[in-house]
Amino acid sequence: MSEPPNDLTYYNRPLLKESVWSIDIPLYYFLGGSAGAAMTLAAALQLASEKGQSDLRRVSAVCHWTGIVGSTLGAVFLVHDLGRPERFLYMMRVFRPTSPMNMGVWILSGAAPASIAAGLLANRRGILGAVGEACGYVAGVFGAALAGYTGVLVSTTAIPVWQAARRWMPVLFLASSASSAAGLIETFAESEAARKVTRVFGTAGRVAELAAAHQVERAASAVPRVGQPLREGATSILWRGATLLTAASLAASLLPGKSRTRRVAAGVLAMAGSLCLRLAVHYVGDASARDARASFQQQRAGEA
Amino acid sequence: MSATLTAGEVVELEKRTAREDTQNRASRKGFFTDTTLCIGCKACEVACKQWNQLPDDGLLFSGLSYDNTLELGASTWRHVAFIERPVALSTQDAGAFSWLFNSDVCKHCARAGCLESCPTGAIIRTEFDSVFVQPDICNGCGYCVMSCPFGVIDRREDDGRAWKCTLCYDRLKADMQPACAKACPTDSIKFGDLEELRETARTRVEQLHEKGMQEAYLYGDDPNRQPGTEGLNAFFLLVEKPEAYNLPPDPIAPAKHAGESWKSLAFGAAGLIALAIGSAFASTRR
Repeated sequence: MSEPPNDLTYYNRPLLKESVWSIDIPLYYFLGGSAGAAMTLAAALQLASEKGQSDLRRVSAVCHWTGIVGSTLGAVFLVHDLGRPERFLYMMRVFRPTSPMNMGVWILSGAAPASIAAGLLANRRGILGAVGEACGYVAGVFGAALAGYTGVLVSTTAIPVWQAARRWMPVLFLASSASSAAGLIETFAESEAARKVTRVFGTAGRVAELAAAHQVERAASAVPRVGQPLREGATSILWRGATLLTAASLAASLLPGKSRTRRVAAGVLAMAGSLCLRLAVHYVGDASARDARASFQQQRAGEA
Repeated sequence: MSATLTAGEVVELEKRTAREDTQNRASRKGFFTDTTLCIGCKACEVACKQWNQLPDDGLLFSGLSYDNTLELGASTWRHVAFIERPVALSTQDAGAFSWLFNSDVCKHCARAGCLESCPTGAIIRTEFDSVFVQPDICNGCGYCVMSCPFGVIDRREDDGRAWKCTLCYDRLKADMQPACAKACPTDSIKFGDLEELRETARTRVEQLHEKGMQEAYLYGDDPNRQPGTEGLNAFFLLVEKPEAYNLPPDPIAPAKHAGESWKSLAFGAAGLIALAIGSAFASTRR
């Protein structure tokens, strides 16, 4: 639009409503995301260890159980945040592709039971073992979706900063999930096999997380006002903090040597970075919703 | 099932029912809010509160003109905005100041962000083409709250469900007009068949232009000029930029470009799977 610049607002009042979501939801992003990436890694380890390597099998089992605990706990947070928790199952009375939240419930309800079956049955003999094995692969695919659909969930809203970053937000959530899932395994699994797996998976996840965060900030700042909460104020401290923690974790995971302390430090820093990132995304969205000018300028620039 | 009907009779019956359905089907209804006629009396707000028995939003004084309502929300479905501006209307003889009023309401978007985002199917399109939240289905997930590009719908603290203007669904079913339109003393709020309202509105803009009020225009009447929502079933006549009324200049139903995010997820998830497989096989090497 070739309108002259105008700075009209209605008494600086917000245009949009802030989210009614409590801290439950960013915690769910973190738990569900980490669980999803762990499920995918578990399935990949199943695939790689078919020649009967019991050490890889054990790491796979750790990943499956990370997936089970994370997705179950995540679901508890998700239900707790509803205005009417007893109506949780109403989400499953429809299949609605226009609603990322509805799609997410179907993804979660595919991933969680499959990972439970895989965790309980994958190492059994006979039919049960085969079922567990198959469920492990199913969980692996659903897990990859679970690790990133929350990026679609936030991008598909009217919140300007989330909307502007819509092409990178899912990648950011996926990368962050890979980083934190690796972090969990680094922290809790000590074997040589676990060390080798997380070295590649964690490092790549952290590099991708840093790159995607950069892209999100760039896309959000195409209209400077829209990206403002990422660059200024309290919300920017969370956003920058996430980058710092993840970068520190990356440095720790790249240091040479097999020290247990180094691995645990890398793992804990990765989880802290990932959690901080989810909190940052949540609160950046609230700040963006409070700023009517962000919406107005985004729409006038034809960027909506 | 009684076996007294022949196949031919069943077909006849079905045809008759279908015909009756078509006859009874309501036409598309909506609001045309002509802000040049609004006197800021808030009768619409009160009528809405009373008919729908909506609680207060906290009895606070804002200090912002005569507006203590401030915004639409879970228990406020009409909101009169008071704009005091240091600019004269072009039809004004003297002074460099003018008042603008606007009774804001849910737009019942032709493509509604809230409806598309609702994961339970609680939000539906009615036979009047309005957008309605079914209170017996809504589970209070809050996703619609962030998906409305107008900041209209909200979750009520006390009962945990999302609420907004129903276009007085109960009154429409009883062949009555919505409470706000009924109460409006100046006919600023017009209710009726959408096509007729659009005609009325376009004629009104022409009249105002003839009288010298060149700044009058319609907001949301034309799907082509507001493609993001494909037009609004509750549209407005304004005399200042939309921002002045706290209306978005180019709103969009968020799901309209969800495809870009899903594509990003698809590529990213494929990358995650590839990375997991790569890491697993890399670890099998000695």
